[in-house]
Amino acid sequence: MNSNRRQFVTTAAGLAGAAATWSVMPRPYGPDVRKETSRVAILRAEGYSDALETLLLGALSDFGLNVRGRNVLLKPNLVEHIPDAPVNTNAKLIGAAASCILRLGATRVVVGEGPGHERDTEMVVSETGLEQELRDREIAFVDLNRDELVRARTKADYSGLGRLWLPKTVLGADFIVSMPKIKTHHWAGVTLSLKNMFGIVPGMKYGWPKNILHWHGIHESILDVCATVPVDFVIADGIEAMEGNGPLQGQLRRLGRIVLADDPVAADATCARLMGLDPRLIFHIEEAGRFLGNMDQNRITMVGERLPRNTEPFRVLPQFQHLQIRV
Amino acid sequence: MERTLKNGSVTNVSRAEVLCQELERRRLASGGWAYLSGAQASVEVTCLAILGLLGAVDGDITAGVGLRSLLEWQNADGSWPALAGDSEGSWTTSLALITVSMTGSSREVVDRAARSLVETRGREAHWLWRWKFKTIDRQTGIDPDKFGWPWIPGSTSWVIPTAFAIIALKQFSACNRSGIARRRIRTGIEMLVDRVCVGGGWNAGNRAAYGMALAPHEEATAVALMALQDEPRTLLIEKSLDWLRHQGPILHAVSSLAWTILSLFLFGAPVDDLKSRLAVLVSDPSNVCNNATLAVAALGLRCGETIHPFALIR
Repeated sequence: MNSNRRQFVTTAAGLAGAAATWSVMPRPYGPDVRKETSRVAILRAEGYSDALETLLLGALSDFGLNVRGRNVLLKPNLVEHIPDAPVNTNAKLIGAAASCILRLGATRVVVGEGPGHERDTEMVVSETGLEQELRDREIAFVDLNRDELVRARTKADYSGLGRLWLPKTVLGADFIVSMPKIKTHHWAGVTLSLKNMFGIVPGMKYGWPKNILHWHGIHESILDVCATVPVDFVIADGIEAMEGNGPLQGQLRRLGRIVLADDPVAADATCARLMGLDPRLIFHIEEAGRFLGNMDQNRITMVGERLPRNTEPFRVLPQFQHLQIRV
Repeated sequence: MERTLKNGSVTNVSRAEVLCQELERRRLASGGWAYLSGAQASVEVTCLAILGLLGAVDGDITAGVGLRSLLEWQNADGSWPALAGDSEGSWTTSLALITVSMTGSSREVVDRAARSLVETRGREAHWLWRWKFKTIDRQTGIDPDKFGWPWIPGSTSWVIPTAFAIIALKQFSACNRSGIARRRIRTGIEMLVDRVCVGGGWNAGNRAAYGMALAPHEEATAVALMALQDEPRTLLIEKSLDWLRHQGPILHAVSSLAWTILSLFLFGAPVDDLKSRLAVLVSDPSNVCNNATLAVAALGLRCGETIHPFALIR
């Protein structure tokens, strides 16, 4: 038997064995942190103006967000600056959120992100307008790709990563707000508050992109990262969202909404429904609904506006057309 | 004109000295450098800081302290980790090889590093994954037969690790290139050619996704071009150079601008105006939080005045 053939037989046998083992193995959940019910608010906002801060402060106060005395990390989604494309969480929304959380009594607010594609973080932060926005508000930014790292054991085991080096700023925060841009994603279907947490995985260790997470399974890695670093609150930017070939090359979809939630799974399930997509068919959301948060609508309390009855589904790549909810 | 350039050049060098002093000040007690203000040394930053400090006034002493730490962090297999305290080899092995070669470290250290580099390859080099990329995973449009180097073991080849590995191996084997080193360099170059963006230039290594072209990035383009500096000037190189030349004057980010200067200089392009702008951008070094950026800026400002660490013998 030549070497290639032997390798093939060994690999095939290994794969068959792994498949058989997987089918009888207990599911690799992390600790069950689901609430009895989760709360989600959908806010209408037509643009990125200074009025966002007032809108957000009112909504966060209604929510009873308790950040008093806490060290808060805002984790937006910054990938790279593509002029006029809705790729990144808008800088004005990030700035408004930071100010609101300070006004609600947080001891400290920092904005942290580790872009997964462009290595020059300073360039991304500057070109997206975030640098100016944060300077005006005297809020610090931390490059999570280059922060000091601590090796942590993952609290779920979907990916087989076992341990991950994670930024001290993230592990040291006592309240984490995921601030995704509502977008379709050509590998994961959607990129929302859970997928957004890929950005905490440091490029200095795992590279640009964080390709090792893809090799270990995108959905599986999302679940492990989010089980290890729980998201406490979500402020999702859907004012200008992205449909089609996201997360970089899709088209603008004016959704005119901001989604707030005290549970990332409830947030992502609601965002998916707003996008006209079925969250039950998106593996990482469906699986996260078993232990990280609530996906079922009967365990989600809508604060204020309800989900629209009919939504024109976001355009998606052909392999994700089964996600579209057709009424 | 000559006088202005000369004065500008003097200003840039003195600005570089200020950056080097700042770098010396930010060295950790353990001997290396962290990216930001923490206490965890990074191999990338330490290499760039050593290269940046070589030739600076009193810089050699600090560089020597950094070098001792760098040598301590080398793994038994010859690779270097991304950060002190980790043991997994990483892309920084290339940068470390460039650094230890330039500082005249022992032959044994350099040989082990080169051997490790030659043995490291992107995951798609394995026949199973080559087959996957050719049959199932075709939307990236990459040719998996043309593989280079990964950021860390277990991942695919990407542009920046591949480009630095090519530079390191070309420098290391300039006088006596083994067959395996020659083949790895050639396949790495083919990989860079395969990943070039539609209009020239490189990004992380995805020229397209689902048939749609992705835009190049300055740093990746600059580093990839440095790896190709001694190759025949093909249309692809010319297009990429044109793109980088065009980007240079509109860049405002220190790191990307400094890498652009280092790269364009190796192709004989004028960089004095870019250096002057870089000097203005770093006029207050305390504003530059990232020590890797500080070190590359020092290298960029001294470009043409001292030995270029990424230059190849032609």
